[in-house]
This record gives sequence, C-alpha cells and structure tokens, in this order.
Amino acid sequence: MPLEVVLLFAWTLVIVFLAFLACHFEDNESDIGSQSNPNSQVQLAPQVGQVHRFFNKAISGEPLSNALYQGTAGMIAWMLLYKLEPLVPDAKWKAAVVAIPLAVGASALIHMIFATTAHCGRIAAQKRFEQPIYLDVFYGHLIPIATHGFLTTFSIVSIAYIQSNLGALAGDPRLNHPFALPLLAFIWGITVGSIGSSTGDVHYGTEREFQDRPFGEGKRVIYHGRITRYADCGIRTSKDISPFCAKFGSPATGLTFGLIILLENWRTLIGMKLGGYLPVLPANLPLVPTVHFATAEGNMAAVWGIILGLIIIAAWIVGNMIFVKWIRAKCGPFVGA
Amino acid sequence: MAAAEEKKAEEKKVEEKPKVEFKFPPNETQLGIIAGIIAALITIFTGLPAVIKAVGMIFAFVWCADSVRKTSKYGLGTGVPSIGVMGTGYGVVGALMGLAFARFGNIGQFYPGVLVGVVFMGLIGLVSGFFSNSEKYIALKIPRLERAMMELGMAGTLALLLEISIVTGSLNFDAVVTRVMETGVIAFMFILSGMAMFHPYNACLGPDERRERTLMVPVEISGLLCIILGFALLILGTSPWGPWDPALLIVFGVVIWVVFYTRFIKTCMKECYATVGTGLIKTIE
Repeated sequence: MPLEVVLLFAWTLVIVFLAFLACHFEDNESDIGSQSNPNSQVQLAPQVGQVHRFFNKAISGEPLSNALYQGTAGMIAWMLLYKLEPLVPDAKWKAAVVAIPLAVGASALIHMIFATTAHCGRIAAQKRFEQPIYLDVFYGHLIPIATHGFLTTFSIVSIAYIQSNLGALAGDPRLNHPFALPLLAFIWGITVGSIGSSTGDVHYGTEREFQDRPFGEGKRVIYHGRITRYADCGIRTSKDISPFCAKFGSPATGLTFGLIILLENWRTLIGMKLGGYLPVLPANLPLVPTVHFATAEGNMAAVWGIILGLIIIAAWIVGNMIFVKWIRAKCGPFVGA
Repeated sequence: MAAAEEKKAEEKKVEEKPKVEFKFPPNETQLGIIAGIIAALITIFTGLPAVIKAVGMIFAFVWCADSVRKTSKYGLGTGVPSIGVMGTGYGVVGALMGLAFARFGNIGQFYPGVLVGVVFMGLIGLVSGFFSNSEKYIALKIPRLERAMMELGMAGTLALLLEISIVTGSLNFDAVVTRVMETGVIAFMFILSGMAMFHPYNACLGPDERRERTLMVPVEISGLLCIILGFALLILGTSPWGPWDPALLIVFGVVIWVVFYTRFIKTCMKECYATVGTGLIKTIE
C-alpha cells in the first residue's frame, strides 16, 4: 500500500482519538457548569424552595456554546497562522504549535466571561425565591469549567487544523479539506455539543438520583430539585457531578463521538479505495475540490462510500434493536407500560 | 392587558430607578426606531471608520436582543437560543441579499441599495411570524410575534452587514466572498452575533429579569466582537484608514467590554437576593 494512503488512515485515526478526548471533556465540562445535565432541575430547584449551591451556566444549549468556544478559537488560530506561517515556510507545523494553544487559551477566557454572565444573570433573576449568589461557588467553578473547555476546544481545533491540512500532511495537498479552519472548528463545535448534550447524562437518571425507583419510572414532581441537595459527602455542588460522570457517562459520550468520526471517515476512505481513487490520484486532477467528483473514479468513490454508510446504519439499527430487546428481557418491563 | 403590562413595567422602573445609572430608551418601540435609524445610516455610508460602524453594530445588537426578549418573554425557556440563531440566519441571508443589491443606486460612497436586504428580511420575518401565529397554520399564538420576528430580521441583517463592512472595509460582494466567506470568518461572526442576540435573555431568564440589566449584555458581547474583529481587520489589512482604524476599534472594544461587563456583574450582585461569601443549602417551605 502506498505511503500516502497509510498516512491518510493514520491521520484519520489521530482525528478519531482527538474526537474521543473532545467529547469526553465536553460532557464533563457541561456537568461542572450544570449546563445541560441537570440544568432544568437547577433552574427549578429554587422555585420549589430548594436553595442550592450549583453553578448555573446557561450560556445557551450545548451545541451553540461549543460552537462559540471552538469557532472563536478557530478564528483566532486562523489569524495567528495567517501571520506566523509566512515566517516559517519550510516547517509550517511550528506556526501551528504556537497558534493553536494561544487561540484556545483566548477562547477559554471568553468561555469564562460567558459563564459568569450566565450564572450571575440567572441567579439575579431568581431573587423572589431567595436564592443568593454564593461567591465561593461562583469563583470555584470557573477554573474547572475553563480547563475542561480548554481540552475540548484544543482537541477540536487540532482536528480542524489536521483536516484543513490533511492532504498536505499525507503527502498530496489536493486532498486538503475545502473548508477553512474556523468553519471546520465551528461545524465540529456544533457536532460535539449536540452529541455531548444528547449522550452520557448518567447523573440525571436512575443510576444516581433515582436508584430506588423501579426501572423506567418517570420522575414525579415532588422529586424536582432534589438533585441539588446532598453529595456522597456534604452538600452537592456542580463539581461533585464531574467525578461521577467521568467514570461512565463521559467516556460513553466520547466513544459515541469517536465512533461517529471513525465510521464516517472510514467509509469515505474505504469508498475512495474501492472506487480506485486513492492509491494514485488522477494526474490531471485540478486543485479545486468541488471538481474532484467529475472523474469516473470520483463518482465510484462516492457510490461506494454511500453503500458502506447504508450498511453501517443498517448494522447499528439491528444491533440496537437486539440490545434493547435483551435489556428489557433482563431488567423487566417499564412500569406503567 | 397591554395597558396593565405597561403599568406594571412602569411601576417596576420607578421602583428600581435609583439603581440604574444609565437609561435605555424607555420602551421597545422607541429603541427599535432609534437603533434602526442609526444602524441603517451607518450601514449605507461604507467609508466610515470601523469604530463608528461598531457603534452602529452595538445599536443593532441591542435591538436584536430586545426583539429576542420580546418574543421569548411570554414563557419560552429552551427556545431562546433558537430564536437568536434564527435571527442570525435571517441576518446572513439578508446581508448577502443586501450585498447583491449594493451596486445599484449608489451615490459615491453611499450604498442605499443594501437596505433592500433589510426590508426584505423584515417582510420575511413578518410573514413567518404571521404563519407561526395564525390559527390556520401553526397556531403558536405568541403575543406580538409578528412584530418581534420582523424586527429580528431587520436588526440581524443590519448587524451582519455592519460586521461584514467592518472586516472588508467595503460592501463589495466579491471582496466579501474572498475575505469573509472563504477565510471562514463568517463562522465566527455567525456564532458571536448569535450569542449577542440570544445570550442576554437566555442568561438573565427568570421571573425577576429586568430589561435594563438584560440589555447590558449585548453591549458587552459587542465589545468582545469588536476586539476580535479589530484583530481580523488588522491582519487582513483591508481598512481604507490604515492600521490606526483597527487599533482604535480594539481599544473601543476593550473599553466597552470592561465598562459593561463590570457594570452587569455588579448590578446582578446588587439586585440578587443576597451576595454572600459562602453558605449552606436550605429548604424554604
């Protein structure tokens, strides 16, 4: 197999690893700020008389807030690369090594700014429920939020950088991603946020808060806000949720995102290989990315990629059905079903 | 109903007057008219320095955030960001349309043609608000949705046009495509504009939300936006006024951000139930 192809697969695996890290830390970061995990409960708790010590990081939904951190970091990284890359034309990676951490650091500061406005604004708007702003909660959560967000943003911006230079890194610049770095970071930010928002919220469910309820029972109104009361030791804050979710919820979220990236890239690359497109690109291939598929090999690569994608989807659907059937048989029927 | 609401709002204002050191226009209509006229005037004069465009942008964002607040006030919770993103979407489409029309009817440096996009997006907002609210179609029955959507479309378009005009220094469609779209700056503009629209109300949501306090947040976010757009302008070197223009924009952004951020946090800490160093949880029966 030619070196270019091996390198393409290798870089794809690096992206998958970074994606795993990104979504793992994204889930954890949203738990510390109680952004998606028990946010409705944190919002509701003072209204039912449960004054709490949680951080209310209601920047927005997770997809958009992650798009903010990563889009901002991508933009700043792009600006730094624009200025730094001409200084080191022979080794452009040196520019990236400086630009990406600086950009991500700046984005972490912006993340903290938005977290403070969200927490203060929301608590101030709950005056009539006698919910005070606890300054130790306010300051104590900012650094964990920023550091976890830093790791997510760092991984995502690295993915965007690798993707926008994938061809150059693997040996053929014509395979570079057509989108610019900030745009890729923005799209990946929305994706990582959506997956972190929808997956891995184990703290919210039966595993922690409602352990003594029968399998599948819905939450009764009298239990609302209870999630903010006591931790394993002492009064629960948002920070106590993170170690719990780090054991299972966050890795599961990371695995979800990593698998999506892995399967998506894998089917594209295998499709390109089966279509006869990959080992040697056609010699007259222009650099304009949208023209790639004008060749017969390009068309075949797309067709194979779509067929493989459909096979993967079918396999997941069947696997999920079997799994749900097995788990219902094992744990009993839903109460009330 | 409306009179009662206004009375209530007035009472609230009277009660909290001593705490507010500066005043926004007292009602939503006045704010819309003032912000709309200022932003539209600054938009069509493309030769202005970036700082003045940033002032117009701040007005447009305050108007946007006020429109989001208007739409969401009746009881939207998780839907607030969606409204804001829709406003940004309106803005991007309207800005592109305005740019396409910019070449028509210009007098020197004045491009009144871009306002076609603004008016068009206002109409689209009105129509979508009508369809969402109408009993025959979606029947959401949100009070004053049509007006809020129209204002959101217009304000979003003005805000995006001003941002684009800051970065490219002109309203030339080709320059915008190469400098804003292909470089990916549009992604950043999209998300931070969205934040300036929906974050204020999303962050301040609750029964004791207050309009003056909420409207400090879009100004603060606009400051952040000015800082980063200033750096982008510096790097792209597109300003007709030379490097002093972006430098001034960055300084302006920093000042605006520091003033409004500290003021917002202080206001929140003053107006909340209590700001204490630490404390325990309690259950209020």
